[in-house]
Amino acid sequence: MSTLTKVLIVLLTVFSIFLCGIVVTYVANAENQRERADNLQRNIQSAKASQAAAVEEMETAKKAVEALKAELNAQITDLDAKNKELIAQMDDVKRQNTVLMAESQQQRASATMATELANKQTEMFKAAQTQLSSLQADQSNRGKELDETNQMLLERMAVIAQLEDKVKRLTEENQEVENRLNQYLQQYGRIAAKAPTTVAPRTAVRPASAAPAGQTRTIALNGQVTAVDMKNKLAEISIGAAAGVRQEMKFHITRGDRWVADMLILEVGPDKAVGIVDLTQQGMQPQAGDTVATNL
Amino acid sequence: MSPMPQSRGGKISPPSNLYTAILAVAFGVVLATAAYVTFACQTCYGTIFGMP
Repeated sequence: MSTLTKVLIVLLTVFSIFLCGIVVTYVANAENQRERADNLQRNIQSAKASQAAAVEEMETAKKAVEALKAELNAQITDLDAKNKELIAQMDDVKRQNTVLMAESQQQRASATMATELANKQTEMFKAAQTQLSSLQADQSNRGKELDETNQMLLERMAVIAQLEDKVKRLTEENQEVENRLNQYLQQYGRIAAKAPTTVAPRTAVRPASAAPAGQTRTIALNGQVTAVDMKNKLAEISIGAAAGVRQEMKFHITRGDRWVADMLILEVGPDKAVGIVDLTQQGMQPQAGDTVATNL
Repeated sequence: MSPMPQSRGGKISPPSNLYTAILAVAFGVVLATAAYVTFACQTCYGTIFGMP
């Protein structure tokens, strides 16, 4: 074996070892391109999915923004309309305020005038009250005078009644005397020249004890008999306390121009009264529809 | 280059297998490197020559 062959063998061996070491080192340190490619592919797919989702979200957001924009435009339009209405209302309110201010001034003037009128009326009221007091005093004095006059009148009427009774009695006595005189003169064929006097019947004369004169002449109440119970001698009349009827008040029951009976009030209602019937005219009984009055 | 002993001139030297061993080592190293590269390609890419 020549030297050159040996040298070549050695060199071949050395270079082979060196080259193999380089290759092994490179392969050991090389990246896994397939894994890298897979990762990149996955990244690309995820990026595409994210892009699609982003695009969809963007579309959705655009739609939402458009809807919101439309809604806001509608609200802006409504608010503009409301703003115009409010401006118009404000103008109306300002005009009304002006009118009300003018009315307020007029009312103040009216209130001032009313106050003045009230003061004048108060003064007039005081004057009228003073005049009323004087008139009441005068009325009380005149009432007293009227009572005294009534009392005197009653006394004189009682005297007149006594005198009438006396006149009637004297007339009857005169008539009896004339009758006797006529009977006596008839024996001689003569007669008294004076005509006999007629005497009024005594039945029309109302007894003095039937009703107190003072009570029946001071007030004048008129009504009608509404119901009669002759078994108990009770009668009901159409006036009551509202008209001035009081207990133990005496009423006269008449029918047309004829006196029927007297009535003494026992119970008084607001618009009716019940009383006992006494001193009934002979042959007559009170019935519904008869007139009742305190004075004949 | 012949392993036969030279018959004329020079010294006679016994045959040596040193360089054969060196060649065997070189061959083994190259073979091991090829096997390793093949294993690595098969493991990583699933193929030896083509593109995955």
